[in-house]
Amino acid sequence: MVTRLLITLLLPMLVCSNGRGAEENDYYRLISISTASAATDSRSKNWKPAPDGLALEISGMDFLDDGRLAVAIRKGEVWILDGVYDDPPSDVTYKRFASALHEPLGLLQYDGDLLTVQRSELTRLRDLDRDDVADEYLTIAKGWGVTGHYHEYAYGPKLDGDGKLWITLNIGLGLKGAELKRTLADAALGYRQGRWRGWGMIVTPEGKLVPVCAGMRSPSGLGANADGDMFYTDQQGNWVATNSLHHMRPGVFFHHAEALASMNEPGSTIHEVEKVPDGLPLPQAMAEFKQLRPPAVWFPYKKMGQSATDIMLDESAGKFGPFTGQLFVGEFTQAGINRVFLEKVDGEYQGACFPFRLGLASAVLRMAQGADGSMFVGLTNRGWSSLGDASYGLQRLVWTGKTPFEIKEMKARPDGFELEFTLPVDPQSAGDVNSYRMTSYTYLYHSTYGSDEIETATPAITSAEVSKDRYRVRLHIDGLRELFLHELNATGVQSTSGEPLLHPEAYYTLNRIPKTKN
Amino acid sequence: MIHAVAVQQGEYSLSLLTRLKTWRSADWLPLVCAVICPIPVVGQSNNPLPPFVADTAMVSGFERFGSHAEIPERQAGSLLISELSCTACHASDDEWLEPKRGPRLNGVGNVVQQDWLRRYLADPHQVKSGTTMPHLLVLLPDAERAEAIEALVAFLNTQREPFPELKAGGVNPVVHEFWKRGDQERGTRLYHSIGCVACHEPDADYETVESKPSAIDELIEQLDQEEIVELGLAAAARRVKSVPHGDLTGKYSLRSLAMMLLDPARVRPNSRMPSLRLTPQEAADIATYLLARSGTPVSDVVPVTPTQALVDRGRDLFVELRCSNCHEVTGIKNYKPAKPLAELDFAVRSSCLEEPSADMARYRLDEMQRTAIRFVKNGEEPRDRSDADEVSFRMLQLNCFGCHERDGLGGVGRFRKPYFETVGNVDLGDEGRLPPSLGNVGRKLRPQALAAVFQPKSPPHRRYMTIRMPSYPTSVVELLISHLPVADGVDKSDELQVFTGSKLAEAGRDMVNTGCVQCHPFRGESLPGVVGIDLNEVTSRVYPRWFYDFIHNPNDLKNRTRMPSFFPNGRSNRPDLLDGNVALQISAIWAYLKNLEHEPLPEKIETARSANYELVPTDKPIVLRTFMNVAGTHAIAVGFPQGVHYAFDAEQVRMAIAWKGRFLDARGTWFERFTPPANPLGEHEVMFSPGHLFVSDDPREFQFGGYRLEANGVPTLLYRYGNCSIADHIEVADEGTLKRTLKIVASTFGEDVVLRAHAGRKLIASGPSTYTDEQGLSVTLPENMASTGSLQQSDDEQEWLIPLKVDGSTTVVLEYQW
Repeated sequence: MVTRLLITLLLPMLVCSNGRGAEENDYYRLISISTASAATDSRSKNWKPAPDGLALEISGMDFLDDGRLAVAIRKGEVWILDGVYDDPPSDVTYKRFASALHEPLGLLQYDGDLLTVQRSELTRLRDLDRDDVADEYLTIAKGWGVTGHYHEYAYGPKLDGDGKLWITLNIGLGLKGAELKRTLADAALGYRQGRWRGWGMIVTPEGKLVPVCAGMRSPSGLGANADGDMFYTDQQGNWVATNSLHHMRPGVFFHHAEALASMNEPGSTIHEVEKVPDGLPLPQAMAEFKQLRPPAVWFPYKKMGQSATDIMLDESAGKFGPFTGQLFVGEFTQAGINRVFLEKVDGEYQGACFPFRLGLASAVLRMAQGADGSMFVGLTNRGWSSLGDASYGLQRLVWTGKTPFEIKEMKARPDGFELEFTLPVDPQSAGDVNSYRMTSYTYLYHSTYGSDEIETATPAITSAEVSKDRYRVRLHIDGLRELFLHELNATGVQSTSGEPLLHPEAYYTLNRIPKTKN
Repeated sequence: MIHAVAVQQGEYSLSLLTRLKTWRSADWLPLVCAVICPIPVVGQSNNPLPPFVADTAMVSGFERFGSHAEIPERQAGSLLISELSCTACHASDDEWLEPKRGPRLNGVGNVVQQDWLRRYLADPHQVKSGTTMPHLLVLLPDAERAEAIEALVAFLNTQREPFPELKAGGVNPVVHEFWKRGDQERGTRLYHSIGCVACHEPDADYETVESKPSAIDELIEQLDQEEIVELGLAAAARRVKSVPHGDLTGKYSLRSLAMMLLDPARVRPNSRMPSLRLTPQEAADIATYLLARSGTPVSDVVPVTPTQALVDRGRDLFVELRCSNCHEVTGIKNYKPAKPLAELDFAVRSSCLEEPSADMARYRLDEMQRTAIRFVKNGEEPRDRSDADEVSFRMLQLNCFGCHERDGLGGVGRFRKPYFETVGNVDLGDEGRLPPSLGNVGRKLRPQALAAVFQPKSPPHRRYMTIRMPSYPTSVVELLISHLPVADGVDKSDELQVFTGSKLAEAGRDMVNTGCVQCHPFRGESLPGVVGIDLNEVTSRVYPRWFYDFIHNPNDLKNRTRMPSFFPNGRSNRPDLLDGNVALQISAIWAYLKNLEHEPLPEKIETARSANYELVPTDKPIVLRTFMNVAGTHAIAVGFPQGVHYAFDAEQVRMAIAWKGRFLDARGTWFERFTPPANPLGEHEVMFSPGHLFVSDDPREFQFGGYRLEANGVPTLLYRYGNCSIADHIEVADEGTLKRTLKIVASTFGEDVVLRAHAGRKLIASGPSTYTDEQGLSVTLPENMASTGSLQQSDDEQEWLIPLKVDGSTTVVLEYQW
């Protein structure tokens, strides 16, 4: 005879009692469509899903033309969900579309079919008789190395602006035994990896793999920006100082040296690397390793999460709030979502990241925007750990219509930055240099796990000019450094109605200082 | 909101100090009083809880046992002397009297709010009733006291240490400024379920799960006070007092309280407040709950910089007033002793205990406490203490008795039991929700297992309880670890001395299947709904002798345990096994558990597990893509309801293995991070010779194209070979054979290919159109096709080759039988 009684708090509830989480909820409301707690700890060797229901460990997500949501789950199935827009979502239906996939980590509706990348191939799932059950599992492309090591995840596909299909491949970690027999026979520089491990690739309509760029460690998120250029996220670890966002383009190298194992394979876009520097600050490492390119955005560890995942472009034209055209990036360990603003300086992407939302029920792995602009978030924390009470599931983030006071954009200028806010600022606080603090730092490029922030300095903010419309502030700064991350804290800035910023932090990856005013 | 508060607080403190600086004359006294006096009233007016007023210093062990004469007087008095830190000033070489001392104050400047410090120094008991800190300024004239407080506060304000940087990682989420992200509701739940209320007061309004009251509590309910005393149940019936919090909202910021909760020993090395193994998020949740329930929390303490003169004066006073005898600060090593304990005259009327004079401090004590202290001084000289005495004294100091019963003393009190729950509210009786009795624990646990209980990284053994065993620094618990075994009469006999027989693991597996599996998981696997202590590694945790005795008769070692005896009246429940020999049977259980990591799970658990993860085709075939040892990392395994299965290697584009009986277990493929290969569960495995079904020099001629599921669920594998596209349909024919139908379509007319119908070390013709290899695998072709083939000898293999001309479309049928 055990009854759970409701916990009733008769204590006075204070506005601030739930901190920022509660405030974020005022602007972006979370709806749980389905979440569940596993029967075991997230890292348990004997991991088991919740005793009943579908193990909705979402690893891929896309909307079908008819508005239903297709999701891939890690155990190897694809399900089609209907009724996901209901609020409350009390009548969601689930239909199994495909099974027997080997850890699919992406899902894309393509030409009437669904595409998914399994561990060993890109597969096209075709439902010929339109009964919502796949009849054909056609292999579109394969040929990358699969040594059997768990870390060799394969992600995608996603489409860029030209309609090209992109996939990314994890690096293997410390291969042993039979795994070594499946590594490249004549790998460059003596590295031991399977073919194309740590590479980003395009798949042609004929199923040909076209290697594009390399040096990835754990590229679990891909996504195109508003201009159709393709990006991926990487995760802190060996060779990777902290989480990062990169523009994928031919011939560039990002971090993980062991991806060079495939350098001499036919089709490789990286050539003639003889030595990889190990233990230099990034600017010096780049001087020695000419193919090495900095990320468009670094996400400083802890401050901006611990494991970056999916990329979602806000194409809602305002239905998801004031951030149309920006990218949202999933955060696994802290169960959250960050926001990214990008600009091009001298033809290369760089930009800033901002905290957006924490408090999801579990690790965020996948995001997709619904027709109404709301964001569907696929969750699963198995194998690692995350905040949140659940182990997996699907949540939906809906803009409440109330505009949060945020730094919307942060643009580099020859002598500082220009901030654009989502709401007009109070000219007094926003015009006061003491409302802002800035530090700058870079990272070590090395083979060990992650990097501390190094060579930290405090650039001086000499003036803050508020624009006439009060939406923008121009910061003049002494001591900007190229290839350094510039961390801004605008705690003192208030909106015209006296609100502080919901998130006063912004982190700009200043790879290049623009020479001329735009 | 929080930011605004922090700023206001800073401004407030700053303005106060500015005013004090200007008023450095006799005139400033009234102002200080005006600032100090009203604040306690303000601080408490918002507090919805009835304030717990302990008029006297609160020492849990003394309150609960000493004041009821349930522990020896010497222990009771010694406990007070150590916990009140008398010997920090009055030195003694008696180890029991070693002073608890106060918190380290090296970082107090950014941990504690100055205003609170000011009020606390003005009258510690008023601000934190029950505090064990004496009032040190009680004898100063008012003006001097006010000045001393300002100086001490100024000095303590300079004691600043950066908060430790928390390490984040894949296992450790640490959100930026996590202390601002606490959730009051989660904090409330944590506070009332993980162990805080073992010592501290629960909220009157917090509702717990309704659980069955303990038998003893039910009995107490029905008795009157007199009967309770007569039956010796007074201790069990008593309400156990709580350790008061004081004005936490006035004292801490969200950040400083969360950091203290995360690692109490950093600030309080005596560990009277232990670590509850909180994550940063949990610490933030509890801090938010504790601070928000009685006011508006600030997120950070904003220190202000006082004048150097005031700081210097405070530093001098800190030594002068003997603060530094108890509190570590940066920059002071001085110690100002008072008369040693042995030289004190307890007969005098004026002392720290009562009516202090001169430079004495004043303790808030009642007559019973004073008597207990005087007993230690006046009683006989300390005698030899037994190991049991040492254990119980340490347990009193650390208040282990708040949770654990030992030798009839302590345990979770009658009124706190409802806060001890099982995860998911499974009814396991008191044994499943209350911390275990520590009777005989020194006989049970090996030293390293005992030590591991206290270590911060040890995983919990009783995962089904919401309560957590706190962690302690080794220095704090080493006395317990060293005295417990002797106190409990440990028998360290090794396995060879205790157990008998050999090669018993299999019988042990049978034994545990009879009963143990009903309540215990085995290396993380259990029968559905079973929660209990996992028996994995039990043999490295407990002594063999204890294990033997406990299995033999659990009740002998553990009163009222739910664990049943499998040997009622000394006779086994399984007379069929090992001739019913009890010693052999217990030895068999040990032998099995000792090797559990490598032994198969108990049969019942294995069966239950298979029900969830073993793929059992019933009406249609089941496909699984996975890693397999024989079929590689691109394996496609297909299982048929008829009990015949195969796996295809989609990388090399070849049939790799076929088998019969059970198909596969999918758990590793579906749910295991480290992706172990899935290997056939059945029998009669036959391997297919490496190489393809068609003769080729170039493996790149073969391209896998996926598969199609036919209406009956049978997959047809699709691939290309040179200019041919092949649909390879494999299904089970009669009598357990696999029938493989190849539809070959060539893109050019009249394509010549050579079918490699069979290959093996030695092929023997076993019929007009059949060849059988050394494994017993036979391949049969239609007679007309077989007749065109020939046997070829290659390096170490014989191959049965059939030349084919593919004119548009050709069909080939092969049958496999073994």
